[in-house]
Amino acid sequence: MKKLMFLLVVAMAAIVSAQGPAKSTVIPRTADGKPDFSGMWDNPKVPGTNRIPTTFDKSKFPALKQGGEAFFEPRTGDARHDEPRAFCMPSGFPSAFLGPYPVQMIQNAKTLVMITEFMRITRIIPIDGRPHQADIEPTYYGDPVGKWEGDTLVIDTTHFKRWSLDDNYYANPKEYRMHSDAFHTVERLTRVDAGTIKYDFTVDDPKIFTAPWTEHWEFKQHPEWEKTGLYEMVCNENNRCPGGQCTKP
Amino acid sequence: MRSQEFALMFVLAFAVSVAAHHSAIAEYDLAKPVKVNGIVTRVEWSNPHIWFYVDVKNVDGSVTNWGFSGGAPGVLQRRGVSRTSMKPGDEVVVQGYRAKDGSFNGSGDTVTFPDGRRVFTAMEGLQPQK
Repeated sequence: MKKLMFLLVVAMAAIVSAQGPAKSTVIPRTADGKPDFSGMWDNPKVPGTNRIPTTFDKSKFPALKQGGEAFFEPRTGDARHDEPRAFCMPSGFPSAFLGPYPVQMIQNAKTLVMITEFMRITRIIPIDGRPHQADIEPTYYGDPVGKWEGDTLVIDTTHFKRWSLDDNYYANPKEYRMHSDAFHTVERLTRVDAGTIKYDFTVDDPKIFTAPWTEHWEFKQHPEWEKTGLYEMVCNENNRCPGGQCTKP
Repeated sequence: MRSQEFALMFVLAFAVSVAAHHSAIAEYDLAKPVKVNGIVTRVEWSNPHIWFYVDVKNVDGSVTNWGFSGGAPGVLQRRGVSRTSMKPGDEVVVQGYRAKDGSFNGSGDTVTFPDGRRVFTAMEGLQPQK
């Protein structure tokens, strides 16, 4: 019997070993017990894929409302319209945070700060449950406010300018997507293990779509990027050929 | 194989898209691919894209200095490509797409050295040339 038990233990150890180290489900927490998202993260991606940039899946789009066709604004051939970033104009949210650049998160009890390496764009998100500001001007990055639902941080963002939804035109040079000034996003961040944030992203644009829809993405942590941190990325440093119009070197 | 060379080959293997601050489609003419052979004269390791310049000898014996843009320095560094991966004096073959204004500038898609190493990649939205 002892011999049988010994063999069983050896066999189970072999099975565990073959499966590799178990993924840690212990997540870091801040002093107040909330999940701590601080760290260096890859940009949000569809789980199991490495396609960049991340874009919204057209197959999930609900039916358009009347007039919602403005969402698919045609490209004009004028780079100032087709790609304002060529002139160092902002990407806006969420586009800037879906490109192929790391995102650093820094968190305390009142605030989550998300910084993307791309132009060092920073979102400063109150996470103390406060409401949106009233009577503020629309912006490229909107007004984000966060609240906790258990271990999930819910970030609600409103007050956007009409601007590019995502970087879809990298994949489809003929299609341009412009959200409206009624654009409203809800992000749900849940740290499901030590290296992963489940990131559910709901788009609600009532001037364009008949219903909201949700993408299920994730952030993957990269501790090896801590050593260098985010690199500097200053758009105007040497933007030599804005819109394909080059200056002499 | 040195680790950096491996990193460079890795970059090549995924040459379709490396970080750019904007879509190259808006700036470069996909209908005008360019391929030049020449000597690197200068490398600008700066944002939002690196630029490098290549003296190309023309058929009539004259020399044209071409400028090519690549990825963002930070993204390239994170992938093991540094400001010394390509130096003035290096002989290179550059494939890319010409700037829309028709000047001697373009998007540097791939750079090939005489020993066969290929570095740097297309800006996003550009398909690598075969």
